[in-house]
Amino acid sequence: MPGQAEGPAMVTRMPVNFTAAVSNIKNAIPGRKGVINDRLHDLYGRDMKGTVMVFPACIGSTFTGMVLLELMRGGYAPAALVVQAADPLLVSGAVLAEVWFKAGVPVVEYPADDLFEAVKDGDRVSVDGATGEIRIG
Amino acid sequence: MEPKMKLDPVQEAMLRGEAGEGVAMAMKTLVSYGEAFGAARLLPIKSAHLSGTFGALTYKAYYLILERLVKAGAKVKVKTTCNPTSGHDLNFLNRHLTFSRQEELDGRLAALGVTPNYSCVCYEGANVPEKGDVLAWAESSAVQFANSAIGARTNRNSILTDICSAITGYTPEFGYLLDENRRARLLVKLDVKKMDPPALGFLLGQRVVNQVPVIEHYPFSRIELKNMGGAMAAAGAVALFHVEGLTPEAPDLKTVCDGEPEKTITITQADLDGLRANNITPDLVVFGCPQMTYEEAKATLELFGGKRSRVPAWFCMIPADRERFIRDGLADKAAAAGITVQKLCPLAALTVQLKRKTVLTPSGKLYYYLQGANYGNAEDCLAACGV
Repeated sequence: MPGQAEGPAMVTRMPVNFTAAVSNIKNAIPGRKGVINDRLHDLYGRDMKGTVMVFPACIGSTFTGMVLLELMRGGYAPAALVVQAADPLLVSGAVLAEVWFKAGVPVVEYPADDLFEAVKDGDRVSVDGATGEIRIG
Repeated sequence: MEPKMKLDPVQEAMLRGEAGEGVAMAMKTLVSYGEAFGAARLLPIKSAHLSGTFGALTYKAYYLILERLVKAGAKVKVKTTCNPTSGHDLNFLNRHLTFSRQEELDGRLAALGVTPNYSCVCYEGANVPEKGDVLAWAESSAVQFANSAIGARTNRNSILTDICSAITGYTPEFGYLLDENRRARLLVKLDVKKMDPPALGFLLGQRVVNQVPVIEHYPFSRIELKNMGGAMAAAGAVALFHVEGLTPEAPDLKTVCDGEPEKTITITQADLDGLRANNITPDLVVFGCPQMTYEEAKATLELFGGKRSRVPAWFCMIPADRERFIRDGLADKAAAAGITVQKLCPLAALTVQLKRKTVLTPSGKLYYYLQGANYGNAEDCLAACGV
């Protein structure tokens, strides 16, 4: 998905269930829409907003596209998504946000396993969704 | 826009706006979405199934888009079923806050021409595909069942891309619509004495994540496939699984793997038992995620042996099956056993509560999503009910 963005990396090796992450009463608190409230996940309690999220895959509900759309439209989403395997639910969210509200976020697919060696939680990362380039630091 | 995907004249006309603005935007969405996955073309679909039936307060973008589509006069081109209701009328909080836009949403879906079956288990009656049918379904558990148990072909569509497909009648050709993506790459061996399909589904979702597994032969019933698949699709992103010698695309291992599996994993009895909660005193026992069929509810009711549960229990059923259950007097029998027969989605209905209830459920899917939910197999749940 095209677009350029940068931000602090938020890295996890656990696949992310975006629906489980933000479909919680705590997410209704103003300003807390982008906080991950999936109690089974290691990013529990972290705020996605403005980060470059780096994760292996997106799992779970078919609500995910709408969940991401809502986050992107509202400005609570990550600045960019870097994923090892881009799947329909993740991409749908970005496409819907872009086509209907011009608020899409770049999505970069990086299939190799060295992704997690190269990017560490907190690193300053910039991405280019059109070329797939990921720059660290 | 200059699409990289090859569109035929009808599709191009839709994109240009000749079938209305709603259809044009839907087509634009599908083309962008398909191109992200290298889809070469769009395929016509036999049916659609929509996930987005919860009128939740926070899904503003959804209502904005639906309003635009309805105003543009868009109508679904194929049979389109939809997911369960949210249980907005369960309590004050649900009705006036959490799902306060339910009636507005129901109205919009009706305006689009959606079949109001209101069940995630659309494949039992309301929307039955055949092997090989190309579909555009959402609802991870329905996608699972259509692909795995029936051998139809659908990707894990999201809310809204499901509607875009329904109103155009097309879906991009990628993913599970292609033969090469349907073969099993991973073999699951079973070292279990007492099978627990939802627990197995949950574990496979976590371990397999987004690949296509084939489970070595086990005579799962249709209902067990449904419950196992629901858990697999929630705890992971598995859209298709095979069972050797059981599911339509897996007559034998060699065929379904197109050679040898790339990897083998083994699930043991200890793995399955590890999910079961110990010493839980639940406030509520919930059966039916995915929703129960008439036969399933009847069989589960029989396990109560005519006794009354010491804990309130719910059977969440397909609405049409629940109507029949009521007509046949079984809902009364259930009520006498302390069971309320619901037509809602238990996850939606129970997500926002003033006082967190401790729930025990034999649903791997509900266990994954619901805060305060504990997993127990069928016997554990009946024991908790004291029957």
